[in-house]
Amino acid sequence: MKGNSFAAGLVVLAVVFLVVAALYAFGVLQILVTDSHASHHYTHAVLFVVLAAASLVAANFAREKRV
Amino acid sequence: MTLWQALFMGLLQGATELFPVSSLGHAVLIPSLLHWKFKTSDPSFVPFLVLLHLGTAGALLVIYRTEWVAIIRGFFTAAFRGSIKTDSERLAMLLLVGTIPAGILGVFLEHSLKALFANPKAAAAFLTINGFLLLGAEVLRRRTERRAALEGRPRVEQEEQFAEAEHISFRAAATVGAIQALALLPGISRSGMTIAGGLLAGLRHQEAARFSFLLATPIITAAGLIEVPLLFDPKVPLGEYFAGAVLAFGAAYLSARFLLRYFRSGRLDPYGWYCAAAGLACLALLTFLP
Repeated sequence: MKGNSFAAGLVVLAVVFLVVAALYAFGVLQILVTDSHASHHYTHAVLFVVLAAASLVAANFAREKRV
Repeated sequence: MTLWQALFMGLLQGATELFPVSSLGHAVLIPSLLHWKFKTSDPSFVPFLVLLHLGTAGALLVIYRTEWVAIIRGFFTAAFRGSIKTDSERLAMLLLVGTIPAGILGVFLEHSLKALFANPKAAAAFLTINGFLLLGAEVLRRRTERRAALEGRPRVEQEEQFAEAEHISFRAAATVGAIQALALLPGISRSGMTIAGGLLAGLRHQEAARFSFLLATPIITAAGLIEVPLLFDPKVPLGEYFAGAVLAFGAAYLSARFLLRYFRSGRLDPYGWYCAAAGLACLALLTFLP
């Protein structure tokens, strides 16, 4: 049960990362960027997509497996 | 930039990216010492760097092509299964864990650090520090060898007592990945720091170099591919830049082959002494010569 709650937390984190990636891709988020006038920040977006994928992988590792 | 300068920079980048001597440090220092007019920090230089990085990454992909197929297959198998069963699956997950901290720090800190320190004197100072860090890693490694009573044995036999990349801990992989970010400082070598980190994590020299090269490939490839649209600017002299990238590919291929052979029994010491001496010499030249 504890493993499943942790996995759920990681899935939520993955969703947050995807939202942040979208915000960077559409230029809504301008935090910690080199050019704050640019309309897209694809490097940042790619990073957050990778983080989202890594969170989902970690969630799959953390969930309790059926024997 | 002339064709000869592009070729020289390609050769320099390809060779120094994998040797633990800092490619960025050399790319900042050498044009400055030769009084070349172009600046590596200039935005117009970015497309050239993109091609050089893709050349280097290409060489690493060619060398480890079979291993990468196994790693990618291992990654998807382990990710969907939710557990690790083979060495390739473990290596894939270790590379993911090692790449994340370097990716985060690289994306958020690269430009500010480069802007702060991309001057020749800072590069020379960091190159000296890089040398002492490499020598320090070898001092710690020798201490471990003494504790394990390996002194006096043949080097190859000493090395066999240490681990292969697949058996490093996940925490150590994350630490080695985070250490990579130090290479954002011009003069600090990415491969030098990851090899040194691998040694401290208990890897053999050759395995530390292998882990370092594998860890470098996704970051260098991704950094290059993201900037590829810059190459379609009509002002970019693609022919000269592409020639430089081909030389970077060749130099990186030969460097990686040489280093993997060298680290069967070799140590980081010669590179440490080179960096310390070259850094101090450049610092003196830049300070006292006009």
